[in-house]
Amino acid sequence: MKDRHLSLNQTQRVRLEAALQELQSVAPAAVSAAAVTVADTIPVNQEDNILKGHGTSDQDGEVVATLCGVVERVNKLVYVRTLRARYKPEVGDIIVGRVIEIAPKRWRLEINFSQDAVLMLSSMNLPDGIQRRRTAVDELNMRSIFEENDVICAEVRGFQHDGSLHLQARSEKYGKLERGQLLMVAPYLVKRKKQHFHHLEKYNVDLILGCNGFIWAGEHVVVGEKPKTTGGQQGFSTEAENFTPLETRKHICRLANSVRVLSALGFTLTVELIIETMEASASSNVEINDMLGAEFYVQTAEREAKRRADLLRKKNDAR
Amino acid sequence: MVGLSEGEKHFIRGGIAQDVRTDGRRRLQFRSLSVQTGVIPQANGSARVRLGATEIIASVKAELGKPSILHPDKGKVAIFVDCSPTAEPLFEGRGSEELSAELSVSLQRCLLGGKSGAGAAIDLSSLIVVDGKVCWDLYIDGLVVSSDGNLLDALAVAIKVALSDTGIPKVNVSVSAASDEEPEVDVSDEEFLQFDTSGVPVIITLTKVGRHYIVDATSEEESQMSSAVSVSVNRHGQICGLTKRGGAGLDPSVIFDMISVAKHVSQQFISLLDSEIAAAEAEEEAQ
Repeated sequence: MKDRHLSLNQTQRVRLEAALQELQSVAPAAVSAAAVTVADTIPVNQEDNILKGHGTSDQDGEVVATLCGVVERVNKLVYVRTLRARYKPEVGDIIVGRVIEIAPKRWRLEINFSQDAVLMLSSMNLPDGIQRRRTAVDELNMRSIFEENDVICAEVRGFQHDGSLHLQARSEKYGKLERGQLLMVAPYLVKRKKQHFHHLEKYNVDLILGCNGFIWAGEHVVVGEKPKTTGGQQGFSTEAENFTPLETRKHICRLANSVRVLSALGFTLTVELIIETMEASASSNVEINDMLGAEFYVQTAEREAKRRADLLRKKNDAR
Repeated sequence: MVGLSEGEKHFIRGGIAQDVRTDGRRRLQFRSLSVQTGVIPQANGSARVRLGATEIIASVKAELGKPSILHPDKGKVAIFVDCSPTAEPLFEGRGSEELSAELSVSLQRCLLGGKSGAGAAIDLSSLIVVDGKVCWDLYIDGLVVSSDGNLLDALAVAIKVALSDTGIPKVNVSVSAASDEEPEVDVSDEEFLQFDTSGVPVIITLTKVGRHYIVDATSEEESQMSSAVSVSVNRHGQICGLTKRGGAGLDPSVIFDMISVAKHVSQQFISLLDSEIAAAEAEEEAQ
């Protein structure tokens, strides 16, 4: 994940600081209270039997943070969840990963975890969709299903007894992702939701927000469509006709740049916010590559500050 | 660097063919350029340059030395490039030696001219203090801090900015009666001579992908290239150097097209760079 540095002029710097100040002011008090740095005291209100978890320590009867992050409580367990950390898988997470190795009966995937994830041949749908036992011929043909460096969408199945992380791809919506681009953001920017697959019909784009911070923006694929046979290397003339349509490509690039801008600002990535940012750039006639410039960066921060202030005002009016 | 899937490669090639690259740029558009001067106080001149996610730190050190016997009326300049292991896992250990050497040689060809010293971007005669006896030796170091493609162009920009930030101390020479003795030199601590960088060229690399070529390729786009031509162009539109990378051969007419495109692109790039240098110097003085 390469950080992007922007050179802001004086006016833009002042505007950005004003927007960030407003974002701080509209943030709920509980959020700022939950944020801790090393050696901060975590208030536990003199409760008994507090379990001190990861990132905490006992100091003269007080609970003190040993990491920078956010305090989380689960019943009597108190722990600090760091933000700039590797992805921690949970069962049921939808993730996007890249195949790095083919081993007997399995693929190894890189999913921004401290170890590689494993996708068993028996844990995924065969390309022909038939439900049957896997044979030795299937094992020999594993490279024709997924080869090295392929991008795959899968679901976290759980940890096996040997400590390895297993995935599954049993639904038709899982599988290989083609004709698009993969973006990598910090995992804490992607919240767990009911829906991580988004088909934006208006733009003919599939957007997949992986819980591990891998985000895929690509051309829409009709589920159940037969994959084209890649018999032989395609010539240039035929390859040109197979390219993504220009309008769809522009939409994909705008969505990708929206994700880049929002992640650079540290905003939580939701499909609504991504689409809103994308449409704001389109309606303002901002060029696709200018979305990564300083001016749109500041505009996005200002727009988000205004949106959250409006949201807070509505809540106050409702009371 | 992690590889790319076949679908991603196809998407990149399609983007270049349709003039909409993965970040929305057109074929001849650069990523955002950020320039910072005076980052190393111990050096006579230094600069930090960011081109997208590629980051370079360049520094210039000046020392008094003895001119070469072959060119008693000219100073000496040496250029070194180092690739930090943090830039890319491949650069660990000796992994970056080949790339560093290749980049160093390319930059030397573009900036220092031939063996005779003619055509150098830096006026070597201005580095002489006493003819045949005392001269300035310039050591230019480039460090690749972050690597995301287009290293050669970013290095050339960093060196140009570092040279514009360079201040060479003024030297007073006491006249001695005997002309064959070593002259006494007094290096001033307060007076500095500014370097003339109007002749320093920029390097425009045109990377060929499919049937088109692009400027400022990212590392993903460089992985899809068949060949790349780096053209060094100065302010007057003259070519100071030309290098080619990549295994595929090029038709001569394509090279001529690339050269004319590089000349056109370099004019805009030099104007942008001049404004960035002026802004960086203004910001440095403001601190």
